[in-house]
Amino acid sequence: MTLLKVKDLQKIYPNGTHALKGVSLEVNKGEFLVIIGLSGSGKSTLLRCINRLHDPTSGSIQFDGIETTSLTGSGLRTLRSRIGMIFQHFNLIPRSSVMTNVLSGTLARTGIIKSLFGIYSEEDKEKARKYIDIVGLTGKERSRADNLSGGQQQRVAIARALMQNPTILLADEPVASLDPSTSHSVMQYLKKVNEELGVTVICNLHFLSLVREYASRVIALKDGKLIYEGSPSEIDQQWFQTIYGEDAVEVTIN
Amino acid sequence: MNTKNPSLPMKSATISTEHVWAVTKAFLIDLFLWSYTFLVLHKVIYEKLILNLRYPEFTWMQPTYALLAGIAMALGLFFTRLSIGKAMMGLFVLDETKSIMREPFTLLGLLKIALTFIAGIYISQVSMREFFSEAGLQGARRIFTALFNPNFAILQEAIFAAIETIYMAFIATAIALPFAFLAGFFAARNLMMGSNLGFFLYTLTRFVLNMTRSIEPLVWAIIFSVWVGIGPFSGMLALMLHSIASLAKLYSEQIESIDDGPIEAITATGAHPIQVIWYGVVPQIVLPYLSYTIYRWDINVRMATVIGLVGGGGIGTMLMQYQGLARWNEVGLLVIVIASIVWIMDYTSAKIRAAIK
Repeated sequence: MTLLKVKDLQKIYPNGTHALKGVSLEVNKGEFLVIIGLSGSGKSTLLRCINRLHDPTSGSIQFDGIETTSLTGSGLRTLRSRIGMIFQHFNLIPRSSVMTNVLSGTLARTGIIKSLFGIYSEEDKEKARKYIDIVGLTGKERSRADNLSGGQQQRVAIARALMQNPTILLADEPVASLDPSTSHSVMQYLKKVNEELGVTVICNLHFLSLVREYASRVIALKDGKLIYEGSPSEIDQQWFQTIYGEDAVEVTIN
Repeated sequence: MNTKNPSLPMKSATISTEHVWAVTKAFLIDLFLWSYTFLVLHKVIYEKLILNLRYPEFTWMQPTYALLAGIAMALGLFFTRLSIGKAMMGLFVLDETKSIMREPFTLLGLLKIALTFIAGIYISQVSMREFFSEAGLQGARRIFTALFNPNFAILQEAIFAAIETIYMAFIATAIALPFAFLAGFFAARNLMMGSNLGFFLYTLTRFVLNMTRSIEPLVWAIIFSVWVGIGPFSGMLALMLHSIASLAKLYSEQIESIDDGPIEAITATGAHPIQVIWYGVVPQIVLPYLSYTIYRWDINVRMATVIGLVGGGGIGTMLMQYQGLARWNEVGLLVIVIASIVWIMDYTSAKIRAAIK
């Protein structure tokens, strides 16, 4: 079942950068789709157009049958609440506890006044504890999130995204600022989210070894265009050099 | 060489509006500097120094002649390397091997600075004779003796006045805080540039804040002392208004320098813009805000003393009264009390700010 349908997506930034030059793709429910490509190839822009952190210049994006490019106001916020996102630099709320950070995933369904005073429903608090447990951070609820290690911070970010009950989880280079072993642990959690909770994952990655291990399907972007689509095992040396350039040498992460 | 612009296009093959603009500015700079030079030469060097006139006569013809002479001189030297304006606008091709200190325009510039220095000394009536005169030194001895023999009889009164000053400064800061907090968001470029309404509010807020800040609290105190009467209330209002403008500027600069990451992440959860500010912006700015606010209180205590001099209440008003009566022993005590509170506030606020970093 097609969950996301992107058609001829173009994005030109105000400074003139042509980041996406007509990208079309479809994402099915339950997939673990990985996007690869050089820095500046348009991977991050593509993800941010899906949840409208950036507005596409032209083209269409259909999410669960809804055209998203024309949404504004509360319609846009409802769309975003159904799409979880995690970031390379975690982007947690500084000087706040793990619990506060995880509960911030429920802001879309918590009233504005209530959220200003930090009042959340018992149900949401219960759920927050459950997700903190799932990402293996039980006992850290009261710790300041910015005092945790990088891997732990990214797991807090995953728990925050799960609080949204997302249909899709976008991950923008989630392991790019982590060390190799932590990278695998974070990827394991994403896999768990994908397989056990049935959340569709779209993930930007740099390391092909990680791609081969976790992706169910791969697309590659180059200069804002989609140049490869297929299974991770089909990326051979020739494709690798097409995607990353003639001089590129594959680096593995164990 | 009657007019400046028509002769220039022949000099360069391509003429841009930018170039014409730069040449015009260069000429205006030259014109101003030369007119200024002639006026100072006449009014200060000739009349004061050479003729030693006590009350030189002023007519509007003098600046007019200076302007005419300035035009002639600026035109005459515009195409030589003595044009300071052209040097400032970067219109000269500089010899890399030669020090800029050896260029004719640099020497001319230094001469003009020297002229300003000499004129400044005469206009400020700097006089070594009066500084070391017999009567002057006696006066100084009298006031210093009195200052170093403070009258402790009014200590109680002085401390009450000082407490009034501290509270006045505190209330001014406290009332300014919520207004500055709100204005800070409207004056932050990164939050407001998204829409036309935002841009309008940003420009309006910045304009009002800049206007308010450019009027000294001393002037506000005079205005308010007429409005609400002489006393701590008028001083408090003056400090409050100035604090709102200053704090809002510091706050907005703090907001402009925050990390966009958390804002992006909270936006991505589908949160309302108000929630984005509360969860994405506020946690990043709370401590710097607190630090600025405490510092502002510290500044307000000092300013409250000065404002008291124009009738803003507190220890400043007391100082003005005793100074008017020439009771220097009492003034001496007040100086000690003021120095103590300023020192204590300075020390405490520095300690608190260091602790919350």
